[in-house]
Amino acid sequence: MSQPPQTDKMPGPSPTSDLPPESDWPTLLHDNSRTGRLGIRVARAPEKVRWQFRAASSIRSAPVLGGGILYAAAMGGTLHAIDASTGREIWQFRAGSHIHSTPAISGKTILFGSDSGKVFALDCESGKQLWEASAAAEVWTSPVVSNNTVFFGSADSSVYAVDAASGSKRWTQKLGGKIYSTPAVSAQQLYVGCGDTYVYSLETASGKISWQTPTGNGIDSSPAVAGSSVLIGSEDFFFYALDAGTGSIRWKYETGLGISSSPAVAGDLGFVGSKDGFLYALEIQSGRLRWKTRVSDVVTSPPVVGSGVVCIQAGGIHAVDIATGGVLWRAGLGGAVQSAPILAGNVIYLATNDGEVYALE
Amino acid sequence: MDRRTFVKAGCLGSASLFLDGLDPKALGDVTAPQAPPIEVVHGAKPAKSSLGMPGLFPGRVVEVHDSTSIVRNRVSQPVVRGMIERGMKELTGERSAAAAWAKFVEPSDIVGVKINPSGAPACCSSPEIVREIINGVRSAGVPAANIVVYDRYEDEIDIGSYQALLPAGVRVFGIENGLADAGYDPNIYCQATFFGEWENRSYMARIVAHSVTKIINVPTMKDHSASGVTGCLKNLGYGTFNNVARSHRSPYSFTDPLIGVMCSVEPLRSKAVLHIMDGTRQVWHGGPLTQVQDFIYQAGTLYFGTDPVAIDTVELDAIETKRRQEGVPSVWTHDADSITSNSQEFYHNPRKNLFYRRPGHIASAGKLGLGIADLKRIDHGRVDLG
Repeated sequence: MSQPPQTDKMPGPSPTSDLPPESDWPTLLHDNSRTGRLGIRVARAPEKVRWQFRAASSIRSAPVLGGGILYAAAMGGTLHAIDASTGREIWQFRAGSHIHSTPAISGKTILFGSDSGKVFALDCESGKQLWEASAAAEVWTSPVVSNNTVFFGSADSSVYAVDAASGSKRWTQKLGGKIYSTPAVSAQQLYVGCGDTYVYSLETASGKISWQTPTGNGIDSSPAVAGSSVLIGSEDFFFYALDAGTGSIRWKYETGLGISSSPAVAGDLGFVGSKDGFLYALEIQSGRLRWKTRVSDVVTSPPVVGSGVVCIQAGGIHAVDIATGGVLWRAGLGGAVQSAPILAGNVIYLATNDGEVYALE
Repeated sequence: MDRRTFVKAGCLGSASLFLDGLDPKALGDVTAPQAPPIEVVHGAKPAKSSLGMPGLFPGRVVEVHDSTSIVRNRVSQPVVRGMIERGMKELTGERSAAAAWAKFVEPSDIVGVKINPSGAPACCSSPEIVREIINGVRSAGVPAANIVVYDRYEDEIDIGSYQALLPAGVRVFGIENGLADAGYDPNIYCQATFFGEWENRSYMARIVAHSVTKIINVPTMKDHSASGVTGCLKNLGYGTFNNVARSHRSPYSFTDPLIGVMCSVEPLRSKAVLHIMDGTRQVWHGGPLTQVQDFIYQAGTLYFGTDPVAIDTVELDAIETKRRQEGVPSVWTHDADSITSNSQEFYHNPRKNLFYRRPGHIASAGKLGLGIADLKRIDHGRVDLG
């Protein structure tokens, strides 16, 4: 594929969102710390499909939600902007190459990476391209916006920081392997996993490496920040809690297989899926297992947290009680390798490998 | 050479009318019906070379074992590095691993590494082994940008996290990645009607037909519910052509002879120059997709060769031996009582199966000239490193 990028605006009324502003879900797992939480209670299985949208091709990444518009990136190279209330497409943008990256919303801008190495910034309402930045290889990670800077990692082994308004480069930091882990960002530090087995902490201002901590294999998982701990999984089967200031290992918990799922955080618990098929709840302070629940043969997607509930896409979508680990309900749609649902208002939005986007209520 | 040939594997004619929907118990011993003729349309054959299957060392299999290569279900990259170096030297007779690799690839090659991610994460081509194979290819002067690790299904590659785990600069490619049919060449195919299916062609992947110049095959070592075992031949054949699941419909399978026929199609046959079978984990029941650890054992073995038929013959013998040790039926058993349509029963009961397995595809491939299928004629060397 080598077509130039292009936006197509669909005729029709502006989106008429019935979602409150607090329903926004602007980035992978909701926020820059990847806590994956919003607070709605989904104790019962959805009863009906409010709408269903067929994307241009299969969807690997997670959708995001902002201003009543749901954004879903189809792997064949199309970003769809969908009215979250009606399921009607508002505009679509064709990137000219495949998209595996979860989009991110910052103000009125939607950003995503592509397999050509380009990161695109589009106007949320019109889909018009504002700028693009380039890496030397594919960008599967989700761009992270903090302090007027966009951060993203690439398979070219570099982390990039570009100006959020123009896309102009601020710094680049070369690491030791491919980067498929989406960074987590706090005020002054960026944390990211790498294919070279290390977890890195970089200064957000300069890109300088503050610390690096090895694990036993490459890292596909994206970190979450919980207080002064950085939580991340590794293909070495372990789930790690690192000291955010020094990188020292506070504890690590062994699962049955590698971990590419990214963790979510709620209260004193961290949640992560393992390729052994279990969803784990671990106490952030101690690493003690609170519970583990088998949800599928294999789990690779990240969990997200609602009020008292953890949801995860593994085969279908599963809702697990935070307190007990008991499965509250399952629905047989939502097959995904890396996608994650959005829990907003009284609606669950999810995208699937089959290229379907659902609004369930 | 005429690009279009027929492989007359049988004279059943319209198998579909005869087989479809019949109760296997009503058929008595009619469990291995002959396959219909398969029409083959080849692609361009590369310049004459002795590297194509069965390659430089017909009938030779080097088995390297190290019990420390897999510990607590984790593959040790330093240990498999030593195993691969030793295996390559034993296979080729070269004194250095770099010289051994140089017998198969040269700096100008575009090298495809055909992995088997189906069954990931429980049993798939180990990323640790693939990384060492990449290092070996690079030692022969091939730049990272000229190496592509591939399979048909990107989602299975994704589950295995190969993208993140393999070295920077190496492409990781799923033939089917969200753009339907874009990855196949409509002018190179195998055509046969097995069960009355309408879509009766299987097309060759473009990456095999047009992009890579050499293929290093990295299959896994598993029982397979339809073909008996999945090894070198199945990983190449069914990992290169689309629309292959149509060859088996419970309880019958035409994987024999289709797998071997597909491996004989040019340019696949000429480009596949080396096979390194990952037997660190071995599946003795439930393949190819099982995640049930009860039937996966950590054998810590790698197999090297240029003859896929010989390696698969050794593999078949090993899987049979393991099944015998476990007290379960042979993969050759055709017993109507063993057949189930319940996949959960199949995955958890090694006496049950979805199909009558057809491991005869290995011998059929031998008859097509792809290698040696007679154990007595195979030069099977064993190296035990620990």
